[in-house]
Amino acid sequence: MKVGLPKGLYYYYCQKWVYFFNELNVEVISYDTNKEIIELGNNSANSEMCLSMKIFLGHINYLQDKCDYILIPNLHYDKKNQMCANFNCLYDLVSNFFKVKLLTFDNKKEIKNYLKVGKELGFKSKQIKKAYKIATIKYNKTFKKLKLENMNKLNSINKKILLVGHSYNIRDKYLNEVIDLFKKFNIEIIYSDLFDDDYYFYLSKELYWKYSKINVSSVAYCKEQVDGIVFFTTFPCGLDSLVNELLMRKIDKPYLNLVIDDLDSLAGMETRIESFVDIIEQD
Amino acid sequence: MNCYLGVDIGSISTKGVIIDENNNIITSSYIWTEGNPVNAVKKLINILKNNLDSKYVVKGIGTTGSARKLIGLLLDANIVKNEIMAHAIGTLSIYPDVKTILEIGGQDSKIILLNNGIITDYAMNTLCAAGTGSFLSSQAKRLNINIEDFGPLALKSNNPVKIAARCTVFAESDLIHKAQVGYKKEDIVAGLCKSIVLNYLNNVGKGKKIKSPVIFQGGVSKNLGVLKYFKEILNTDVIVDPNSHLMGALGIAILAKKNSLGKTYDLNIQNISFDTKAIDCGGCSNNCELLRIYKDNKLIDIWGNRCDKYIKN
Amino acid sequence: MGDYYVPAKYLLNKIVDAEILVAPFITAKTIELGSKYSPEFVCTPFKYTLGTMIESLDNGANILIQFGGGCRYGYYSELQEQILKDLGYKFELLNLITNGKANIKRIYKMIKRIDKNFNVFKGLYYFFITIKMVKYMDKIDDYIRKNIGFEINKSSFSNLKKEMLEKFASVNNPFSLYILYKKYFKRFKKIKINKSKNCLKVGIIGELYTLMEPFSNYYLERELAKFNIELKRFTNVTYLLLKYKKVNKKALKKSKEYMKYQFSADASSNVYWTKYLCDKKYDGIIHIKSSFCTPEIGVMPILDKIANEKNVPMIHFSFDSNTSEVGIKTRLEAFYDMIEMRRK
Repeated sequence: MKVGLPKGLYYYYCQKWVYFFNELNVEVISYDTNKEIIELGNNSANSEMCLSMKIFLGHINYLQDKCDYILIPNLHYDKKNQMCANFNCLYDLVSNFFKVKLLTFDNKKEIKNYLKVGKELGFKSKQIKKAYKIATIKYNKTFKKLKLENMNKLNSINKKILLVGHSYNIRDKYLNEVIDLFKKFNIEIIYSDLFDDDYYFYLSKELYWKYSKINVSSVAYCKEQVDGIVFFTTFPCGLDSLVNELLMRKIDKPYLNLVIDDLDSLAGMETRIESFVDIIEQD
Repeated sequence: MNCYLGVDIGSISTKGVIIDENNNIITSSYIWTEGNPVNAVKKLINILKNNLDSKYVVKGIGTTGSARKLIGLLLDANIVKNEIMAHAIGTLSIYPDVKTILEIGGQDSKIILLNNGIITDYAMNTLCAAGTGSFLSSQAKRLNINIEDFGPLALKSNNPVKIAARCTVFAESDLIHKAQVGYKKEDIVAGLCKSIVLNYLNNVGKGKKIKSPVIFQGGVSKNLGVLKYFKEILNTDVIVDPNSHLMGALGIAILAKKNSLGKTYDLNIQNISFDTKAIDCGGCSNNCELLRIYKDNKLIDIWGNRCDKYIKN
Repeated sequence: MGDYYVPAKYLLNKIVDAEILVAPFITAKTIELGSKYSPEFVCTPFKYTLGTMIESLDNGANILIQFGGGCRYGYYSELQEQILKDLGYKFELLNLITNGKANIKRIYKMIKRIDKNFNVFKGLYYFFITIKMVKYMDKIDDYIRKNIGFEINKSSFSNLKKEMLEKFASVNNPFSLYILYKKYFKRFKKIKINKSKNCLKVGIIGELYTLMEPFSNYYLERELAKFNIELKRFTNVTYLLLKYKKVNKKALKKSKEYMKYQFSADASSNVYWTKYLCDKKYDGIIHIKSSFCTPEIGVMPILDKIANEKNVPMIHFSFDSNTSEVGIKTRLEAFYDMIEMRRK
């Protein structure tokens, strides 16, 4: 059995599912974003949608005939931890326009989600619970390690930048081409999505987006320790349009605001990144 | 013999057509608007008048295009209609079974879907100049190429460069960048043409079922590069009528014929003085910018008010 | 927003003893100011409200009150406060809604601060009247929308409405408000119209701010009425305050074939309304929103699908601060021509 997990949007918040499926010997089909996926996305998405949304729809398009099911959860939490509006229409967008079979759950208590999906695939409760337990342990271990590595970078003697963006943007292989441009310099990149959400309050009191809280917390936590901050956004991200603007007004570190509209225009970014690094290295 | 005049005043060019009772074009003309629709129309009418046999009398006038209302007043037209209707009617008179009309003009681009001679759906660009004629000509200027050479040059290329053409600003910076990096001119030009097509289909044509026969018109339809990529990407034949640029004018002439009031028009308009004056109303906090229109020094209309304070006169 | 400043001002005037400045009408200058200081791709209502705030502060206001909830609206105030402070204004901004819920404690504190003698019962009493007033206004507006396209004497509807709002502003108890409402409803019904049974009918749906603030949609409803069209709009303050949850639940139930989950903001309702308008044989649907409105962009493909399947034409307008008015008129005219042609 093959379950498709499109590498876009929620993929990065559903990592535990990969371990879970592995435990059950269900093959997980995912591809890194590539040119073809982006083109497919451009063709299937509404032209006003943000680039991340287009990439997601491209993945769906690419996966649809390569797997038996695609997993599309409806991620939502409470009023104080909201998701971007796009996350709540993914399932219905796909079910209205693609023929592929879908697995889904309406985010409730975690174990219930796993039971629902697992049962739909024909597994027994016992099997599912066991797989869930092991997946949780494995996932927590990996995640903890990643977090620690990220934190340790703050102690580096090199120049440090904090990369602020949603996981589905800063982790996307294709969008990463921009971030790779930093790698030729001797600079530590600290990722904003590996922080806890307990510091956001210092910079923004009213914030109610779950994952923006983590980004803002990362800035609040390490704004004194890094040499510069890079905001990495896809056009036209609704959350970032407000949150990043507020952050830029509140911090007094050098910052660079990278807004990516179309992947064909990546090339022009090089000059901007080089001059930003020049500024950081001056002091 | 009776004849009917149709004028299509676009942001870049002004087109005029005179037809007979059987919708045949007797004479036509095509000139640049140059930012002054009134002067352009005066010039246009003069050309048409000189080409018109004296046996014809004008029994109806219609105007369309972005300056349709203003010119409608100037010519005292018996019908003023939007471009979509005019284009559809004009095209239907030549291709009665047309299913899809693609149109890219100076400022606007649109798609019209028809079935059995009835418009079933249409869409226009989202009020942004990206991917329209004016965008193409400004880029041509930037690359130092004559707009007429744009199409033939594009045909020479086998490797069109990818250009981000979703937004004029992004496209421009991308274009400059590609030129600096050293891509060949014809590849850039071809890339521009292709990006216009992709942009159009992704934007205006999104979700529309494009069925043949497909007719492509508007100023940009004269660009062979754009036409080539339309055919390639839609994978169907795309027809460009030799008179494709006149379709709007032809359509409005036909509508003028249908709605003729029997009145006879004089084409001697050279000496009519036609003036517009913009003033700030100041009547309320909205402070609308009012446009007063004078014909032979007589105030004939006021536009631009958001309230009902100045309804005609 | 639209005419709703009347009940809002009424409520504040009745319960607190302070000078209330109603935010100035939105004008071209408002948008210019708002756009100048707004982030690049924020949705348009942000620009309008920021512009309004700047103008109000310039007029001498020192406390700004904002009701914003849901979607991005709830987060506007924090950023707007920062932007205005960076511009050097000194003021207090009170956002009365946090996390999508009215913050009763905050409201109470605010009122107490402005006016020490505030009486809770008096407050609730006038709050009740205000809600009634909004409901009546919305009912009258529904009637106007249906008929204004067919009025024989120009402006007879808008003049009577103006008169009614003036009268509304001076009522003191719910009963006299009700009498007034009944009286004016009768007078509205008496306005002479020339409407045929099978006139063209168009439904307007979309994002709430753009729908309710006529300036931001370039007076779309008025332009449409000029073509002798009967209009239907669902979104109004009654819906937002009282019916939001109910309609959203109903939407999910009634349009199961198109959606399984609840969407953000008004997107679910719009799916349901699209289906409703199609089933009720409306001649066309106009979907309007401000640029960059994420929830609406997300469901637009689904709306198109419904309209397509049911063979009802639908057009979309995305309004920004620099949309060209001529362009809108051309599109509306063409829309009208098309639905008229389809009728034949």
